[in-house]
Amino acid sequence: MNVLVLSGYGINCENETLHAFEVVGFKGKIVHINDLIQNPKQLYNYQVFAIPGGFSYGDDTGSGNAMAKKIMINLYDQLIDFSLKDKLIIGICNGCQILINLGLVPSLNKKDPEVAMVENKSGSYECRWVDVKVGKNKSPWLKNISILNLPVAHQEGKFMIPVNLLKSIKANNLIGLQYIDHNKKLAKGQFPFNPNGSKDDIAALTNQNGNVLAMMPHPERAFYHYHVPNWQNNTSKRFGDGYKIFMNAKKFFS
Amino acid sequence: MTNTIQILSIEKTGKESSLQKEYNNKSIKIIDGYFFSTNLDDQKFTKISKLISNDVSQTILTKKNVNKILSSYSNFNWVVEIKFLPGVTDNIATTVKEIIKDNLKSSFKSFELGSTKIILIKGRKEDITKISKNEANPLIQTIKIYPFKKYLNNFKKNQFKIEKVKLPKKKYSKKEINLDISDYHLSLIGKLGIEENDKSRRGTLGLDLESLKTIRNYFYTINRKPTDVEIETLAQTWSEHCKHKIFSAKIDDIQEGIFKKYIKGATEKIIQLRKDNFCVSLFTDNAGAIEFNKDWIICHKVETHNTPSALDPFGGAITGIVGVNRDCLGFGKGAKPIANTYAYYLADPNKKYQLYRQKNKDPMLPANFIAKGIISGVRVGGNCSGIPTPQGNVYFDDRFAGKPLVFCGTVGIIPKKIKGKLSHKKKANPGDIILMAGGRVGKDGIHGATFSSEELDPNSPVSAVQIGDPITQKKMSDVIIRELRDENLYSSITDNGAGGLSSSIGEMAKESGGFIVNIEKVPLKYNGLYPWEVWVSESQERMTLAVPPANVKKVIKRFNARGVEATIIGKFIKKEKAIVKYNKTEILNLDMEFLHEGYPKLNLKTSFPKIKIEKKKIIKKSSLIDKLHKLLSSPNIVSKEFIATQYDHEVQATSIIKPLQGEGRVFGNATAIKPLFDDEKSIALSQAAYPQYAETNPYDMAGSSIDTAYKNLIVTGANSKKIAILDNFCWCSSDEPGRLYQLKEAAKACYDYAVAYQTPFISGKDSMFNDFKGFDKTGKSVKISIPPTLLISSIGVVDKISHLTKITPDDGDILLVLGNTHNELQDSVYSKIIGYEKSKNPVVSSKDALRTYRNFEKANKLRIINSAIGVDLGGIGIAVTKMAIASKKGLTIDLKLINKISVDQFLFSETQSRILVSMKKNKLANFKKIFKASNYTIIGKCTGSDLIEFKDNKKIIRGKISDFAKSYKKNIRGL
Repeated sequence: MNVLVLSGYGINCENETLHAFEVVGFKGKIVHINDLIQNPKQLYNYQVFAIPGGFSYGDDTGSGNAMAKKIMINLYDQLIDFSLKDKLIIGICNGCQILINLGLVPSLNKKDPEVAMVENKSGSYECRWVDVKVGKNKSPWLKNISILNLPVAHQEGKFMIPVNLLKSIKANNLIGLQYIDHNKKLAKGQFPFNPNGSKDDIAALTNQNGNVLAMMPHPERAFYHYHVPNWQNNTSKRFGDGYKIFMNAKKFFS
Repeated sequence: MTNTIQILSIEKTGKESSLQKEYNNKSIKIIDGYFFSTNLDDQKFTKISKLISNDVSQTILTKKNVNKILSSYSNFNWVVEIKFLPGVTDNIATTVKEIIKDNLKSSFKSFELGSTKIILIKGRKEDITKISKNEANPLIQTIKIYPFKKYLNNFKKNQFKIEKVKLPKKKYSKKEINLDISDYHLSLIGKLGIEENDKSRRGTLGLDLESLKTIRNYFYTINRKPTDVEIETLAQTWSEHCKHKIFSAKIDDIQEGIFKKYIKGATEKIIQLRKDNFCVSLFTDNAGAIEFNKDWIICHKVETHNTPSALDPFGGAITGIVGVNRDCLGFGKGAKPIANTYAYYLADPNKKYQLYRQKNKDPMLPANFIAKGIISGVRVGGNCSGIPTPQGNVYFDDRFAGKPLVFCGTVGIIPKKIKGKLSHKKKANPGDIILMAGGRVGKDGIHGATFSSEELDPNSPVSAVQIGDPITQKKMSDVIIRELRDENLYSSITDNGAGGLSSSIGEMAKESGGFIVNIEKVPLKYNGLYPWEVWVSESQERMTLAVPPANVKKVIKRFNARGVEATIIGKFIKKEKAIVKYNKTEILNLDMEFLHEGYPKLNLKTSFPKIKIEKKKIIKKSSLIDKLHKLLSSPNIVSKEFIATQYDHEVQATSIIKPLQGEGRVFGNATAIKPLFDDEKSIALSQAAYPQYAETNPYDMAGSSIDTAYKNLIVTGANSKKIAILDNFCWCSSDEPGRLYQLKEAAKACYDYAVAYQTPFISGKDSMFNDFKGFDKTGKSVKISIPPTLLISSIGVVDKISHLTKITPDDGDILLVLGNTHNELQDSVYSKIIGYEKSKNPVVSSKDALRTYRNFEKANKLRIINSAIGVDLGGIGIAVTKMAIASKKGLTIDLKLINKISVDQFLFSETQSRILVSMKKNKLANFKKIFKASNYTIIGKCTGSDLIEFKDNKKIIRGKISDFAKSYKKNIRGL
């Protein structure tokens, strides 16, 4: 099992993302986007393609846009091909914004981005822990998970989805994660449970196969128990909730 | 054909919402504009628009649709167009250019573009003027206000204009400066700068008459006149900022100066006593370093960026943070930045100070604009660089109205050895190539080093402003840390900060002997810079490397492959000469010895300052609960959560003690990160300064700062033998004997407490003239000096995860205060808000403090302590309340257990060296075995209710935790 973790141009969560994959049993490599463009064929050596969080191109012209354009002209076909195989793709935070800008998720009309990631309702950067529940979907990334406690850290985490598209997203069960409140009920846009005002409390979307997951929260930052706020009150477990997502990737290939 | 692309968000953006709320106006819309230097044909317009916008969330305005689309939002009638002045860093434009270049390779040649923010409103002209004042800074941006009709007209007639840098076409010829002139004219050169042919002056050199005479004498001995480049270089190198002349000067009877005697002296004394390998690199490098574990060392550096932040708060602060990141990159062979710290000392953002740099003109920016700008500058710098920013604080006082203090710090980590060689040692060898990597050079920050050493007065140059570009720096940083360092491809590295190339190369060349630089090789942002400008420019995001000739090709290739420029600009030589050539003409040739050590040493005298100190203040009558609410919601105690949530403190997945603590999210005074996946050791960070005590007693002020910074780490769980500290002195009027007396006192305390606590100083910095000289709104001249401020930053190693503490007690815990409480209310938050009489300022007894700390450490390792919080501003009353807010669990405090002092003195005194702890009742016996008869008081217990209760003999005073939490989380007015 091999994972390729993308880096370059301001992506910055590659080390911890690779580490999380390695702990659950993957072999992996951080590959700079320019090296991947030089030799796109190396993608075939990997089962998982991960775009970690960060600030590619400083979020200028919209988070994930510039990097998506770079991928679009250089690697788009290879990535589509990868997504159509029995392989997994994950985009976390800036990676999520890049996947959405590429249109790989939700990919219902197979061309052009259908969803936009826009600025948080609060107008400011939000770094905080949230609870999310797993929506009705068939993503192997989220299998057998119900609720996760994870951190978000973004300026543009609000999913903007045209009404009709939202209907098809729901009909096709493509909602990956949704923000919930203290009572485990949908946050209904209420801050800080929904940290960005995202439509229908959406925190993650998948493609139709479920093998591509675009999520705003950071599972790699909730990997060990000591990542979780106030972990001193509960030291019995070794891992935090983020671990489950990486384990699911492992299980998919085992 | 059109020369602009303008993009509109279909839905209301977060920024638009907050503007609409702030100005109580529902008709505000923001347009992202891009102005091009050439006209785009329809095909290009469509292609580029698509590349830089989003179909789903945005609309592209065209000549045809602009009126219709905008009128669907509102009947706008006023417009403000905000764009960067020519030459100011425009990061968005850089990204757009790169996207266009990547995607439209063949169809687009050279062009210029600028990003613009256009705000439309329906309202009065006064409204748009007000908005423009809060959204733009005239120092770095052009602000055009015009009616909406004109905007439509501009659109139709392609009248949006981009202003390019227009520098007069000038041919450089070597300029010799005649110093054989009167003292008066000499001092003009120092104060106003070198005179150009047109009689204009280049801007202050910060050289005093004596320095200029020393320079004159040097050139007499070598029998020629100095060039302009030589004088500029000497001014940079000899600046207070670079040479710390006051700290190294003879002061009263201290021959060696206060740095050598008190700061370095303390560290030397400690090393002599400790006999271990804890200190790795001290004072000589860009940062100081200590041992982390057997394979890794960690470095820490804290810088200030005060003057630039007063002029351009956002730019000043972002440059401050990415600048100190480079200090880490430039430590040893290059350390990876793993945490940022911040501390801001600001004027009240809710007050209007109305200060002017010149009589009735050139106003200081409003206090809230400065505060907001600084907070966002560090946010963008830290977040975009992928470096967590967990640790910081903010303090407000009117005396920062003329100059805000902006401290930015970075912690880095580096393996002890790289390819078998010690990583903290570096040496540029003769023959090594000088390579400049990263950004290009423009007029940014020219004269930054010389002017930050001067008081802010009407002649302060405005070109001394830089704006950081964190993405360019991140790209460069990744190449250095990941691809070059561990292969040992370069022999030395340092950053380009104050003084630019003149400083970085000048410093590195000490390792080899000297240097020859070919200044025309330096890549420029735009043409028309003079060689001296290139040499001293402070354009950001650049590192200087010494690369053995055999590796140069490889190194440049690696940089280029990651989209980073790297250029050969000269070589290091053995001969102790500093040589700069411009197209083969030698424009600088100085002896290295003179360059670095030739400056005249100061001889300073101090005298006891005459300061009026308020001894008594009427106490306002109010209930205890009311007092607690007042203190909790006061700006210096109120939660700084709104900053913590803006700053990504989780990136790198290292955050283990977070800035917001407990379920109730209390803003902590220390944080910790666990930097390595395979070692459970953590790094604890804290900082402290007490400018409020400075005028009363500078010695106790410094003692309190060291005590608090140290205590916070002990309370977090750090190993007391693995704590180091950093000193950042921000002083005022350091040419006055009274201020120098305070400085000497503070430095003396630094020695005494550092030696007592065995905490070496590993790095430090000073900024000596934080004064504002200008005018008030009536035109009367005023001088506002900051209170002397010594920030002590502490960094320590926590050996085990189980040593890390929490601030939340559990039901049934008993509460104890470790350490005695005295009547020390002078200069406290309580005294400011409530009042006081007959009180003293806090005095630290290191003997008592250390006994408390050692015992605490022992008890914590034995897991006797369940929760702990350092007692800080607002005293025990506030510490207790914070514990309750954090845990959301009620506490009962028994006030009849106190003796000798009054209830208010007990609850609000800011006596140092105290820790509030909780423990299970059954641990008390073991606790007593450790603490024996030393000073602790049992003050109550954790009840788990929703109330905080204070029991006196006669009555019980209660307050609801949720009410206290509300006061504690109040917004700071003006922010």
